[in-house]
Amino acid sequence: MTIPGAIVPACPLLGFFGATSASAHAIVATLVVLQLAAPALTLVLVGLPALLDRPLSERATTRLVGSAFTVAFLAGLTTLMVLSTRGFAPEQVHLGTWFSVGHHDATIDLVADGLSVPYVCFSTGLCALVNAFAGKYLHREPGFTRFFVLLALFGTGMNLMVLAGSIDVLFAGWEFLGISSTMLIGFFHERTNALKAALRAFTTYRICDVGLLAAGVMIHRAVGSGDFERLFGGVWPNANSLVSPGSATLVSLLLVFAAMGKSAQVPFSNWLPRAMEGPTPSSAIFYGALSIHAGAYVLLRCEALLDAAPLARFVLVVIGVSTAVHAALVGRVQTDLKSMLAYASMTQSGIIFAEVGLGFRVVALVHIVSHAILRSLQILRSPSALHDRHELEAALGGHPGAASWSIVRLLPESAQAWLYRVALDRGFEEMVLSRFVVGPVWRFLEWLGAAELRWIDWLGTRPEDRARDLVERRMHGRSR
Amino acid sequence: MLDGHEIPLVAALTAAIAAPLAAAFHVGRGGSQAGPRTPAIVSLLVSLVASLTITRAWMSGSEVTLELGQRLGGGYLVHVDGLTAVLLPFVALVELAIVMMAPKRFLDGPATARILLGAATTLALFSTAHPLVLIVAWVVTALPTWWSTRATPGGQIAARVYAIIMTMAVASMTVGTLMMIADPPWEAGGGAVGACGGWLVALAVLVRKGIVPFHSWYPALFRGAPMSTALAATVPQIASYTAVRLFFGHADHGDGVGEELILLSQLALLTATYGAALALVQRDLRGLIGTLAMSQSALVLAGLAGKLPMELNGAFCTWISSGLALTGLGLVGWALESRAGPLSLETPQGRFADAPLLAAFFLLFGLATIGLPGTLSFVADDLLVSGSLDEQLHAGLLVIAATVLSAIAVMRAWLMVFGGPSSVDGPRHHVLPRERITLTALFATIVLLGLWPAPLVRELERAGSELLGVPFEAPAPVGHGVDHGRGAAGPPGDPSAAAP
Repeated sequence: MTIPGAIVPACPLLGFFGATSASAHAIVATLVVLQLAAPALTLVLVGLPALLDRPLSERATTRLVGSAFTVAFLAGLTTLMVLSTRGFAPEQVHLGTWFSVGHHDATIDLVADGLSVPYVCFSTGLCALVNAFAGKYLHREPGFTRFFVLLALFGTGMNLMVLAGSIDVLFAGWEFLGISSTMLIGFFHERTNALKAALRAFTTYRICDVGLLAAGVMIHRAVGSGDFERLFGGVWPNANSLVSPGSATLVSLLLVFAAMGKSAQVPFSNWLPRAMEGPTPSSAIFYGALSIHAGAYVLLRCEALLDAAPLARFVLVVIGVSTAVHAALVGRVQTDLKSMLAYASMTQSGIIFAEVGLGFRVVALVHIVSHAILRSLQILRSPSALHDRHELEAALGGHPGAASWSIVRLLPESAQAWLYRVALDRGFEEMVLSRFVVGPVWRFLEWLGAAELRWIDWLGTRPEDRARDLVERRMHGRSR
Repeated sequence: MLDGHEIPLVAALTAAIAAPLAAAFHVGRGGSQAGPRTPAIVSLLVSLVASLTITRAWMSGSEVTLELGQRLGGGYLVHVDGLTAVLLPFVALVELAIVMMAPKRFLDGPATARILLGAATTLALFSTAHPLVLIVAWVVTALPTWWSTRATPGGQIAARVYAIIMTMAVASMTVGTLMMIADPPWEAGGGAVGACGGWLVALAVLVRKGIVPFHSWYPALFRGAPMSTALAATVPQIASYTAVRLFFGHADHGDGVGEELILLSQLALLTATYGAALALVQRDLRGLIGTLAMSQSALVLAGLAGKLPMELNGAFCTWISSGLALTGLGLVGWALESRAGPLSLETPQGRFADAPLLAAFFLLFGLATIGLPGTLSFVADDLLVSGSLDEQLHAGLLVIAATVLSAIAVMRAWLMVFGGPSSVDGPRHHVLPRERITLTALFATIVLLGLWPAPLVRELERAGSELLGVPFEAPAPVGHGVDHGRGAAGPPGDPSAAAP
């Protein structure tokens, strides 16, 4: 997409930016650094006083975090304008080499292109809005500062992941996302359910992070560096892979595995409905808008590899469709609004995965943005849904109308009952995982732990003491 | 005779070791009116400054290994190279943090003297490559640990386990080393006696490192001994140092690594994963820290046998990063225990409301153990995983499994210790200024080394190259400025374009 030449002179700013390639690159580099530095600086400014037991006031905290996201948003918009004058050609920003061992270089590379910059605008804009909402919503909440520290950490991680020009930087951002998400799910730490939900989400994230970690290593092996510009060339969404089809398939499959966890795809989806234990603003931004789409974003970023890997695309479509069907079915029988919205998010996320797998990248990007905006609005409004309903009924003077018709009613009643049972049991996903995977492994590990303790006791007790204990136990047994 | 540049190094080394040793005698005889903490802190600060002087002198000077004294069994009495220059301030910092954080009732004269004696011996051990001195240091470092554990109420089982294991380790080490000296395997024509000696030393390292099946003393010590004793006995990893000094540079091995170390690394990989898996199901905080320490320590040994500088560097970085992070984690746990009693992981303990600052530090150190971006462990994990996967697929997968399981275990521990309903009228435990300073400084060190790892990584790479006997290729200068010279015009796929 380019802006017609006639418009550029009419806009002095664009005219100025379009003057020379070098100056435009310098401006983009500065703006990109600003997008990253603003939330990161806030993290330090809000987090450090809290760590030193001198937290900032509520007003100062919200203003600081809000300003950072606004600055990042404006910097993103400006970058978008500059890029649009240059046909959205990617601008690589090389911040240096973090460390280097032998031929292994960990570079700090960022990229501004037609995917990353719109996404940064969208994510920082949403974060700024949620910041404003949360300032009121969490007023006098004991964990007020903690929420905003985690929001800043999330914003930093999100921008790092989105602007990443190398797999190393992307992985760092991805980790920040996972940690902030876990801590926000467990925000109300006095609730046992919140703790369980946080641990479940974190476990899922870490298991699936293996995919991203291994993909990073594979990329380093394939091209000798983690830089995306050595992995694929061209302009998004028409970039082309620079690695062999075998490497592309392997890396793509690993990335799909990594994306499944963050985006709650089957069979790693059961953490999402429970994640709604967190405060409403974080649910809106994480599980309705940004975090849930992080997996899809990574796949869009590496779309050139997917192009060269038909197997990975097929797997992606199967996973996406399965998740969409599963979530649509289970979501229909949920009895609380937040769970219903979680399954609705999961449905859309599944469809987006299928779109990416089918090669509809721009459609997927538009779908992500539109779904995120709608869903976060719905989640933010959910605490007052009952009030809205009463207002509606008062305005209409009664019940708004009959329940909507469903295609399921076309099925025979026995099939409807079966589907209802399946939906109530969440597609048996949890039951299968818990009975056949997690349960046996956990019991085995507990047995090992107990055996270790018995061994230490045996080894650490003198033989004469052991004999005396044995005699005492036998005597007690007889007396009983 | 000493060269001009060697004199300050030797003086600093003497100060680093002598300061805690002198303080140990001073407080052990009850010579301090102000209590044992102040002289201990002063002596360890002197030791830290002296160690940093060595690091600085070594990095900015000729960077030639300092070797003094009689050469015996492949090693000199005084041996200061890149690894020593990094390990000395690490040990001094860990010991200083322990003394700063120790609750008052655990820091009487004899206990402080044992900590200081252990510190001085560990520092001395890290500056020698002489096999006989290494044996003596093994014994001297083990004794205060056993003594302290035995003196702790309820620590008898742990003390006995430790005594049995350490006796086996020291005996194996002594016999093995003597056999290696008698028939040096690193010299051409080395015979069967020397080779057998090598395997006995390998067994000693296996036992002292807590590698499966000799791992039980790790969690036992953390459960039965004061946290200071457990941390001082495990964090410096003197067995890893011994393995480096005795198994690197063998003439009979093309890549410079003894074959004993290669076998050890395979067992260490299993231990790393097994320890992390055990950490998942621990029922108390001390058990968790013990199994986690066992897993992290095994990761170091697993990386040490790497034929690639990257893997070796990853092992060295893990040595430092996991040591600092585990020290922080253990000390936070100790501070919490001293206020609230033993901490179970079976049910949520609800400690967040009582001690929010300790909760924050526990989380930060816990995450720093498992590869939080921005900390040194992220760099260490990156190098270790990349190096392992490059060399052997199964090694890489086991390292990844260990890091994943450790991460879940740490998060579970945090949620269980700090989550859950708290008692409404429970007291809020304030963190003392010395505790806050210590924890902040320790975490700042981890973050600083994580954000700016290049100098440390470079020195460790140089040390690794020297140990492996391969030429060191200095990397291109590292920069952090924004590169304005590259844009869309830069050719994709051109490696030269990536240079700063």
